[in-house]
Amino acid sequence: MISLREVSKTYETPAGKFAALKNIDLEIRPGEFVGVVGKSGSGKSTLLNMVAGIDRPSSGAVAVAGTEIHALSENKLAAWRGRNVGFVFQFFQLLPTLTAAENVMLPMDFCKTFPLRERRKRALALLERVEVGAHADKLPATLSGGEQQRVAIARALANEPPLVLADEPTGNLDSVTATSILDLFRGMANQGTTVMIATHEADIARVIDRRIEISDGSLLQQ
Amino acid sequence: MTTPWRKAVRDFWHERARTVLVVLAIALGISAFAAVMSSYTILTRELDLGYLATNPASAVLRLDSIDEETVKAILQNPEVNDAEPRRTIRGQIKAGPVQWRNLMLFVVQDYGNIRVSTLVPEHGAWPPANGEILIERDAFQVAKASIGEAVIVKTANGVEQPLVISGSVHDVGQAQARMENIVYGYINLATLVQLGEEPKLDQLNILVAQNRFDENHIRRVVADVEQLIKSRGHEVRRIDIPAPGKHPHSDLTGILLLSMSSFGLFVLVLSGILVINLLTAMMASQVRQIGVMKAIGGTRWQIARIYFGQALFLGIAAVIVSVPLGILGSRALCRYMAMFLNFDINSFAVPLWVYLLVAVVGLAAPLIAAAYPVWSGTAAPVRVALSDFGLSQTTFGASAFDRALTRIGGTLRLVAVAIRNSFRRRTRLVLTLSTLTAGGLFFLAALNVRASLVNTLDRMFAARKFDLMIGLANPYELEKIQKAISKTPGIKRAEGWFTTEASVANPSTADHDTHTSGLHGGGSDVNRFSVVAMPADTQLLDLEIIEGRNLAPGDTDAIVINNALAGKEKMRVGETVVLRMGPADTTWRVVGLSRESFSPAVAYIPLSFIQQRHPGMVNNLRLLLDNSDPDSIDDVKASLDRNLEQVGVRARGSVTKAESRFGFDQHMLMIYVFLIVMSTIIGGVGGLGLMTTMSLNVFERRREMGVMRALGATPRTVWLMVVAEGVVIGLLSWIIAALLAWPISKVIGDFITKVLFRSGLDFTFEPLGLLIWMVVSISLSAAASFFPAWKASRVTVREALAYE
Repeated sequence: MISLREVSKTYETPAGKFAALKNIDLEIRPGEFVGVVGKSGSGKSTLLNMVAGIDRPSSGAVAVAGTEIHALSENKLAAWRGRNVGFVFQFFQLLPTLTAAENVMLPMDFCKTFPLRERRKRALALLERVEVGAHADKLPATLSGGEQQRVAIARALANEPPLVLADEPTGNLDSVTATSILDLFRGMANQGTTVMIATHEADIARVIDRRIEISDGSLLQQ
Repeated sequence: MTTPWRKAVRDFWHERARTVLVVLAIALGISAFAAVMSSYTILTRELDLGYLATNPASAVLRLDSIDEETVKAILQNPEVNDAEPRRTIRGQIKAGPVQWRNLMLFVVQDYGNIRVSTLVPEHGAWPPANGEILIERDAFQVAKASIGEAVIVKTANGVEQPLVISGSVHDVGQAQARMENIVYGYINLATLVQLGEEPKLDQLNILVAQNRFDENHIRRVVADVEQLIKSRGHEVRRIDIPAPGKHPHSDLTGILLLSMSSFGLFVLVLSGILVINLLTAMMASQVRQIGVMKAIGGTRWQIARIYFGQALFLGIAAVIVSVPLGILGSRALCRYMAMFLNFDINSFAVPLWVYLLVAVVGLAAPLIAAAYPVWSGTAAPVRVALSDFGLSQTTFGASAFDRALTRIGGTLRLVAVAIRNSFRRRTRLVLTLSTLTAGGLFFLAALNVRASLVNTLDRMFAARKFDLMIGLANPYELEKIQKAISKTPGIKRAEGWFTTEASVANPSTADHDTHTSGLHGGGSDVNRFSVVAMPADTQLLDLEIIEGRNLAPGDTDAIVINNALAGKEKMRVGETVVLRMGPADTTWRVVGLSRESFSPAVAYIPLSFIQQRHPGMVNNLRLLLDNSDPDSIDDVKASLDRNLEQVGVRARGSVTKAESRFGFDQHMLMIYVFLIVMSTIIGGVGGLGLMTTMSLNVFERRREMGVMRALGATPRTVWLMVVAEGVVIGLLSWIIAALLAWPISKVIGDFITKVLFRSGLDFTFEPLGLLIWMVVSISLSAAASFFPAWKASRVTVREALAYE
């Protein structure tokens, strides 16, 4: 499903070069639930960004679901991402002027994946699935953090992507809510979706299939 | 509606106050543009239609006299559609104890059968009975009389005849009476006899049959008519061919409206700047959202469309607001112009293409303005966009300029913060300054141009040392006149002059095409210009010689030309010219060039030249008086009139220096008002721009304001800081405007005088303008930042710090 070969990423910063990823080789099978664990600044987010096509490697190759994504243009990448990757952010990142349902419909509108009339029905079903169906027509500002993250997860699933990526999805939530959110991801993986979560929390072991630890841009163990 | 469009609408709704500001600013620009465009179509159509409806004469011939038989013979010519005899005679009119005013009398044989250059009766009697006079509707203000009143009228023969004003008429083809400071009166032949004149007609209005608007055709027909009149033993003294089918003011109106429409476009550009400001800020505040949209599959173009959609929305809203506003504006403008030009508007209908043009321009302008901010705002790669931490992290302090700014303010912390804050968003500051500065420049230009016009007129009139000019009915012996003058108290100095007309006799330029010139061009044959013969040692005219020399005693064939004549006939100092004065051609040496800014073409020659042919004769008096107030002048005029009549000398009319100045002042006022209106509208756009800028600044710095509140700043301090920042911007715009005012005012002034008067301007700077504009710009910027500041001061600490 995911294949990284000798991927390195170096950033130019005012303080000099900074190697965020060093020579990463990684294979992830379809339907696998992988937890990427590491300290803050260890390179977790960069790794996730590489897989999502949000960032490009300085060297090496990234293939996701059979596509060599490092070779795509920004616009092609956006369209590809819309159909193949669902992304969940730490700070939810719902668009503030759109309702919960509309936030979920947005990727479908961008990628024109479902007929126009079915989009809202599908959005409501997804919200129902993550247990926030009652809040479908509310604006993000009126929802709690946990509710917002559930909406964000529904949005990530909008186009039925084979891959869902989540960058610290529970980082901003209390432990009870965090647990229920992780259970949602587990459910997704059980249904065949590949899930990759970056986190620095240790208690993720309960739900994941495989743990990848990253430190100073290098993988420690697989 | 798909979700991207919903986002476009809701984002605007979220910031509705600012959206309304920008819509208003664009609407102001489009309204100005729409008003001017529709006025242009309405005025040009109505002016020419109204004029054509009077069946204006293709040519006006002045003869010694004309009889019925000759008119009948002329009408035999199939090329002549119609021919109607009239008489135009100069005179004077007096209502009550008021002083004499100049009068142009039109004598019509049969008011029931006017076919060429028709008159429209307005109020009172029609036609005028014996002993009655009709007055042109616009001339009542000059005559200072009303219908039913008795007036005294006299022509050059001096017979004072009481007449009753029995009605008013509208004479569309005449230049506005108020501007010309002359009364137009209409009488019948019998009344003319009462005035002591012969009952003859000496003017023939001709309307050609085909090709009414072909000037060459008119010339050919008129030449045939002239031939026929001469063959019947009559003399043709003068032929005037007005620009065919065009109201005498048509070109002036066109020029005015053209400059107004370029102004409308300018305002539109300024309001486009506001769109740039708004969308740049908006794009900046939405970087993270753009990143998210890209992360979930939005392409750059899909995302850009959202923001272009918003720009389009701005345009649509502005067009909806401004079409009715523009129509209202154009009606006001048309009414004003119609009153000013003395014609009626029958229909305010605006052609469809104007609406379409306004819509296209109104929709396109914000889209064009949005192009750069939107395209560059959507350019950031996803990772960069997602890692944007909002706007509080600007890089103030990086450049040497920033560090220099930190030295300003000293112990006045508030002022220091205000100055530094205003420089934080450079592009926005520059754009805001440009609109405010433009308003200031136009305001200062208005004052400077006005001061310069006044200065130019002052200089022009300073050259004229006489207070009163009296035109005589015929040439008279100066000796006789001097007797009358010596008996009249209050005259310091008097000179007898001789005025006539001439044209260049050079055969290559003799067949000039009629073209427009001066204030009301197109009225008559432009070949002719005034010739003023004056004593070589005159003390009543101090010409400003800019090349060559003035006339000197002993000169016989020397001529001094003014700049208008030099420009018109391409004469140069040192050249020899042949002039046709009366029946004879004479050769002249151009010895000097004088500068008379707003004067028509004039040539000055020595009086001795006239004296050789008509010894001792003059037809014009120039008088310097002891006192030049209107009452003293009236006294002198009245007693001199009596004394002249005692020696058998009749005056045809008189003009005081103040009266001839009045007409100029009226035209200047119009320019001044136009510039002031322009600067008000641009200032309005600038104010809206500053308000938008301040509200963006406040919005982006809410967190900072929360921090300040947390550190103990009162809402009042926050409020004051924001207002101070606005005032700093206002002051900056004032400084730039003050620096640029001189060159810009000069360019505008020169342009206007060149277009309207074909002459230069004696530029002068109005320092008071700087002070006035400083007060205006400070108040404007304080007012514009008032509301954003109030909003900023209301933000609670918790809210502001929680804001991301």
